[in-house]
Parts: sequence; C-alpha cells; structure tokens
Amino acid sequence: MAHVILQLPTPVCSILGLTARSHEVEGATVDEALEDAYGRLPGLRVHLCDESGALRQHVSCFLNETGTRWLTEDEQHLADGDRITILQAVSGGT
Amino acid sequence: MAVLIGTEKGAFVATSDAARRQWQVEGPLFKGWKVTASARSPSGRYLVATASFVYGPALHVGDDLSGLAQVEDGPAYPEGGDLKLSQIWTINAGASRHYAGVDQAGLFFSDDDGQSWQPVPGLNDHPTRKGWLPGAGGLCAHAVLVDPANAERIWCGISAVGVFRSDDGGATWVPKNEGVDQVVPDPNFPDIGRCVHGLAPDSEHADTIFRQDHSGMYRTYDGGDHWERNEAGLSSGFGFPIAMDPLTSALYAVPIESGEYRMPVGGAFRPHRSTNGGDSWEPLGNGLPPPPYEAGVLRGAMAVDGLDPGGVYLGTAAGDLFVSADGGDSWQGLPCTLPRILSVEVYVEE
Repeated sequence: MAHVILQLPTPVCSILGLTARSHEVEGATVDEALEDAYGRLPGLRVHLCDESGALRQHVSCFLNETGTRWLTEDEQHLADGDRITILQAVSGGT
Repeated sequence: MAVLIGTEKGAFVATSDAARRQWQVEGPLFKGWKVTASARSPSGRYLVATASFVYGPALHVGDDLSGLAQVEDGPAYPEGGDLKLSQIWTINAGASRHYAGVDQAGLFFSDDDGQSWQPVPGLNDHPTRKGWLPGAGGLCAHAVLVDPANAERIWCGISAVGVFRSDDGGATWVPKNEGVDQVVPDPNFPDIGRCVHGLAPDSEHADTIFRQDHSGMYRTYDGGDHWERNEAGLSSGFGFPIAMDPLTSALYAVPIESGEYRMPVGGAFRPHRSTNGGDSWEPLGNGLPPPPYEAGVLRGAMAVDGLDPGGVYLGTAAGDLFVSADGGDSWQGLPCTLPRILSVEVYVEE
C-alpha cells in the first residue's frame, strides 16, 4: 500500500468545497488510490466517473508525468510519494 | 427578493427591493459550471443543479444560496446501465416530494427535501422508450407539473417525445399529445414524437395547461387529453419558454422564428403576453432593445414572481437579463452582461 498525492482540478475542488487541490490517498494501484479518494472525498466519484464506472471522456489521469491511458496495468502500480493528477482533457469549446 | 440566474459559466444572484427597479448583481456561484436549474422547497431549502461537459452533473442543497453543499445521493442512473445522466433540467420542489427531470430523459424523486433521490421507473422504463429520440437540446425531461390538489396527478414534458401524465403518483404514465402535430413520425409509436418545449400550469385550474411546442402554441382544458392551438397574435408559434403569472393569470411567451432559424422574428426581441388565457397575444417591447437583437430565451430562462404588480424576468442567450416590474408593460435591462443564460428563478422573501 503506497501513500501518494492526488491532485484535483480547481473546478472540482471548488464545487466540492475543498480548499486544497492536493490530497493524500493510499493504494497499490492508480485505481485503488482513486477508490480510496472516492471514500475520503464524498461527491468526487460522480465528477470523475460516468455510469460505465470508467473515467469520464474528457477527464485525464496522470501518474507522475505520464497519462494513465498510455500505461499498462503493471505500470500503474504505485510507490510512496507518487503523484496522481486529474486534469480536464484538452478540448475545444466555449 | 433574489433572482438566481443560471448561466453556462456559473450562477449570478440579482437582488432588489420590492419595487424591482434598483438591482445589484453578485456572483458567480459555481464559477465555470453550467447552472441548469434551481428551486426552493416549501421548507425554504434551495436546490441548485450544476453540470459540466467534463465533470458531469450534480445537485446542491442548502438553506441559503451562499451555503450550498453537493448532494451525495443525487439523481443518477445505475452504474453499468445504458443510460447516462448529463444534466438536471428541471426541479419541481413540492411540500412532501420533489421531482427532477434529467437528460438522458428520465424522472427522479426525493421524499427527504432533496437529500436523496430515486428513479421513477414507470416513466424511465416506459414501453415507448425505444422510440424516444433526442432533439437539438438533447433527450431531456425538462418540465414537471404536479396538481396542487392531487399529488398523484403529474405531467412530464420530454423534448422530441411529448407530454406524459400519471394519475397514480408516478407508477404508470400515458402519453398525452392528442391534437399536437407529430414532428418525429414513428409508425410504431403514434402517441409520441411530439416536441414539447415548455409547459405552464394555469394558476387556478390544474387541468388547464399551456404548452409551447415545437409545432406551435397549444392549451388543454382536460389535463392533456386533448390539445388545441392558441396562437392568435403571436409573431411565431415557435418558441421555448412559457409561464403564467399566478396572481393575474397573464401568460408570457417568447416567440422566435422556426426550428430552422431560432432567432427573434425580424431581429425584434419581443416577448408576448396573453391576458385572456391564450385567446390572443400581444407583443411587448417598451424598454427592450431595438432591432437587431438576435438572441432568444432558452426554455428555463423565463420566470414570474407572482407579486402585485407582476414581475417578469427574461434571461437571454446573449447574457442579458430583462426585468419588468409591471406585468410586461415596461422593461429594464440589468446593468451587466453575463454568459449565456440557461435558467432563471425568482425567490421572494416572505
């Protein structure tokens, strides 16, 4: 079980009333750490996941410097001090 | 009094005294989020719906607008199912039960003042569902009416589908569109395929309902069993919002040019009023911008306050809020330009 930092986008923090962007979470993998975050931060899951249970289409997740969509499951194992960052995918619009 | 103006990028609160001439605008609340609907329950609790194309929808509740908290057990379709909830379109907050209409079209209810929500399967799993197709605004349940004298009797309007009525508290639903032109023909489902844009209940008779539809303006006197056109004097039968002042029974609508163009007719932004139950309509323009003003009013962006004289509030897609404090005889614009306005609700202090 690794202790890692989860960094959330400011719009999600503000709507949940969170004053900090960074939160300590635990897990052996990125998925486990996110599950831990959903338990610690009520209301977070609906903003990151859709009804399929997967991350929403325009939500990107990075493990340290690499998008998790480019990582294999084995490469998503966590070590103490890792950083998971949630970002809005680069998308056009208003 | 306060007007909650929901926009594409947050909510703004306009406040005034009872004269409704001097206004202050503060905000945004929920900066960067779409604020798609709001309501205040008889207990005084506010319910405000937000949405984001990135981060999804949510519902927030609180006893004042500056102290809203996201509901954990809000309206939601089950994980692993086919339906996705993109936004809450309308909230009907009753004394004992609240309803939320959503996109993808469906209805949810709450019996604990908005803290937790359950689906209404009689509508969400309706036998006609396979014939429900999204319109330009999506596949949204955007209007919910409840008979004030009989909570078992409920109407729900779904865009590009039509109006449904339940007489048993939401257990079963029947399409109620007879007399309304079908705009999405489907031989398998002749009772739907109507594109209701807005519903306004009569202030005195629950079975009298006014309907702004894609195909024109209609009314019913029998709870939706039959509908008839009432378009005399309208510059166009096409439009989205409709509302009735509960005190004077004056009706308000904002005609725009056809489903193809969706712009004010001839560039003239002119809400219309009927003071005879829809028998005839008159344009209103005193104090509104001269042509060209090429923005319309979205279906949730018109409200009335029920005061004497009646206040009418129009939020436009150009981000202007126009207020009439005399039933529509004259108008003033608030001194601000906001993002595209999606929802407008008025909260009068008792």
